[in-house]
Amino acid sequence: MRPIRIALTKGRLENSTVELFEKIGYNCEQLRNKGRKLILEIPEVNLEVVLAKAADVITYVEHGVCDMGVVGKDTIMEYGGSFFEVADLGFGKCRFALAVKKGSDFYEGYAVKTIATKYPGVARSFFADKGMDVEIIKIEGSVELAPLLGLSDGIVDIVETGTTLRENGLEVAEDLISLSARLIVNSASLKLRKKELETIITAIQNAVKA
Amino acid sequence: MLKNKLITPEGTRDLLFEDCMARRQVETRIKELFQNRGFSEVITPGIEFYDVFSSEHHGIPPEKMYKLTDHKGRILAVKPDLTMPIARMAATRLKGQTRPLQLYYDQNVYAVSPTLTGRSDETAQMGIEIIGVGGRRTDLEVLVLAIEALQSCGLTDFRLEIGHIGFFNTLIRRLNLSDEDAEEIRELIQTKNFPSLNDRLDRMADRETADALKQLPALFGGAEVFEQAAEILHFSELSADIESLRAIYEALAQLGLGDKISVDLGIVNRNDYYTGIVFRGYVEGLGTTALVGGRYDTLLSDYGSPEPAIGFGIDVDAVAKVLRNSLPPLPAPDVLVFAEEGYEVKALLEIRKLTAHGFTSEFSVFDSFDESRRYAVKKGIRTVYLVNEDLVEVRL
Repeated sequence: MRPIRIALTKGRLENSTVELFEKIGYNCEQLRNKGRKLILEIPEVNLEVVLAKAADVITYVEHGVCDMGVVGKDTIMEYGGSFFEVADLGFGKCRFALAVKKGSDFYEGYAVKTIATKYPGVARSFFADKGMDVEIIKIEGSVELAPLLGLSDGIVDIVETGTTLRENGLEVAEDLISLSARLIVNSASLKLRKKELETIITAIQNAVKA
Repeated sequence: MLKNKLITPEGTRDLLFEDCMARRQVETRIKELFQNRGFSEVITPGIEFYDVFSSEHHGIPPEKMYKLTDHKGRILAVKPDLTMPIARMAATRLKGQTRPLQLYYDQNVYAVSPTLTGRSDETAQMGIEIIGVGGRRTDLEVLVLAIEALQSCGLTDFRLEIGHIGFFNTLIRRLNLSDEDAEEIRELIQTKNFPSLNDRLDRMADRETADALKQLPALFGGAEVFEQAAEILHFSELSADIESLRAIYEALAQLGLGDKISVDLGIVNRNDYYTGIVFRGYVEGLGTTALVGGRYDTLLSDYGSPEPAIGFGIDVDAVAKVLRNSLPPLPAPDVLVFAEEGYEVKALLEIRKLTAHGFTSEFSVFDSFDESRRYAVKKGIRTVYLVNEDLVEVRL
């Protein structure tokens, strides 16, 4: 039988997931000493771990080449897709926020506002819900630069502690939604390999609660 | 600007040789099944008026349709769905015909997919519709045909999952929510998003209904689901739906199809025209659904002819993709027939004879026997006929 394949978002979410796996009792030796390998095994439980970038985790799970994935809610909101979102893993906590230059009022006046963001989809739907036309500019790196350089009136970005904002003279104008890491599952896999997947999901859920 | 002249549009592809063979094989087998069971084929136009697909309650989102305009400026859609045109036809040209109508189709549908996701915009679909008579017997007949259609293609590792849209509809009605709130909850159930669903429902005053809704997406699996459902969904309005679903499940098990079916009471698709039983086919090796179907008793009233209907569609491309790997490579012709100058007619007569005896053959268009022979070796043709006064059979 093909092993169950789980895709992890490389970096911090990966590390927290490995800790979670160790709490469950999975042997994560390969994951701890992975070198440059991208596909690793937890042989005792017939689990194959794939390391990928956040948006790719969704792509692999959606197409069914990975059965499960660990990815941030921010990525899910931005890229969407059809899969099951079965558990909140409780780590990777942060929030989406609208931030502006300290002291400025974003909603003032009737001029069309410009937003710089790494998450154009999230920003678009947030302002669409408010019935507000805004111009959205996609930025790939440090979004905080955009209002400082005069490119935009505000930014929509992930905020954890707000330190970066403060150090750059920005402040949160509005919180959009809180985020955390989620466990997602391919819809066909959950049906065709219900028992195996449920065992893993339950183990993960219990470890999160513990 | 002709920079696109060498490529096909995103989401489309050329099908070559073995791909075609796999697709045609699937079509032939399913067609035979449908015909043997009393269904007649219909072909609807490739383009239809946009209005056919944009009814208020069951419309397809405009951004998913490829659109054109006719010479009067009216909007046309390249058909994104086959059930709606068939409903239109049943309500108009077939209005006076004996019910039930038992129709099948084998056509392409088109949908605009998000770019760069690897999804197809063009999908070959086959399916059936039973229109004009409702009830449990049609439910059963359609489910059996859905399973047999997948089996007829030679698939063994697949599962048909059955649900009923009534559970969600009844429960959500009890909560008296706005359409937006109901939609939000529907989406959370559809994606089995337990954490957010729990958050959302914990705020509801009607604890009993909220608790039942919370567990809806977890009610999937085998026959044991009915026991759990009877306990969790203990509302009197729901017991009839649970019982009818259980009866169908048991009937399918008696037909020896028990290992091919499962239940999911949390199937609640958006923009669905489905009103009763709903089902989906999953095939091992495919991350998506290969078959979708259900009862749609209100769709035909959109076209002015309220009557019950049920049907399903199979994604022929998806099934063909699974079977493609198990097919042998396309065989070369049995014989290459080369005629010397002046003996072409004799050679063509020889080809007729070969065909009559059940052999495949190819008429060599080369000028010399040597060239013909080299070509035969390259193509893997094992026998070459040299036709002159005599007929020499050369084995390679």
